[in-house]
Amino acid sequence: MFAAIQNWRRQSTYGDPIVVVSGLPRSGTSMMMRMLDAGGLGTVTDGIRTADIDNPKGYFELERIKDLEKEADKSYIRQSRGKVIKVISFLLKDLPPDNFYQVLFMRRDLDEVLKSQDKMIEHRQADDPTQNDTLKEAYRNHIVSVRRMVRNAPNFAIHEVFYAQCVSSPGQVATEVNAFLGGRLDAAKMTAAVDPSLYRNKSG
Amino acid sequence: MFWGNSAKVKLDRALYDKVAKVADVAGYATTDEFVAHVLEKEMLHFENMKGDDDIRAKLKGLGYIS
Repeated sequence: MFAAIQNWRRQSTYGDPIVVVSGLPRSGTSMMMRMLDAGGLGTVTDGIRTADIDNPKGYFELERIKDLEKEADKSYIRQSRGKVIKVISFLLKDLPPDNFYQVLFMRRDLDEVLKSQDKMIEHRQADDPTQNDTLKEAYRNHIVSVRRMVRNAPNFAIHEVFYAQCVSSPGQVATEVNAFLGGRLDAAKMTAAVDPSLYRNKSG
Repeated sequence: MFWGNSAKVKLDRALYDKVAKVADVAGYATTDEFVAHVLEKEMLHFENMKGDDDIRAKLKGLGYIS
């Protein structure tokens, strides 16, 4: 009830919410985007980053978001009101303050995240100067910092989704996510969008 | 100290008692000094720009930031 009142106040101040799927790369953000897409929520994506070995069902990304930290004009984000957009957790701090963001924050075991990221770096043949032990600590601090920022911001609401639970109990996660977003989506279709075989035997 | 550049933080009594014991054993002059030292060390984690640099480098490699 209290959350509903808070959301009503946020919506009357900032307009229709922008649903933001966030988290570290390889924490299940694309899986959640696919669930929301199937459930009937419009996705903001340009299709530039296409499906590959790391994400066989696609990334659901907007290329321009990569520049969010540097860009001065972020007014285009407003056009995502009423839809869902993927923004990695590192860039949440750079979202413009004039919107109401409903954040679905994906959480996954950090060792799994790092392993999966390493595979992706390898596939991309990209340089990687980082060490996983220091990066794991940095990620841990980063997550704490992001959660604190989101919880303290008046125009953010957050719901955490755990990757493992999403794969093992997609129906329950779909129901909870749908409730968080106001019950406007088709939870059955969201549930059906999760392909456990895609995730069960891979660490990515 | 009630005046100057300090502020109070409330702690659960049971936790405070434990903290006070550890501060004493560890040789801190006061419980306040121990708490401040622990918090300063913890804050370094959050203010560690090197951590952000590592994350930024990884995200660039993964293609998530430009």
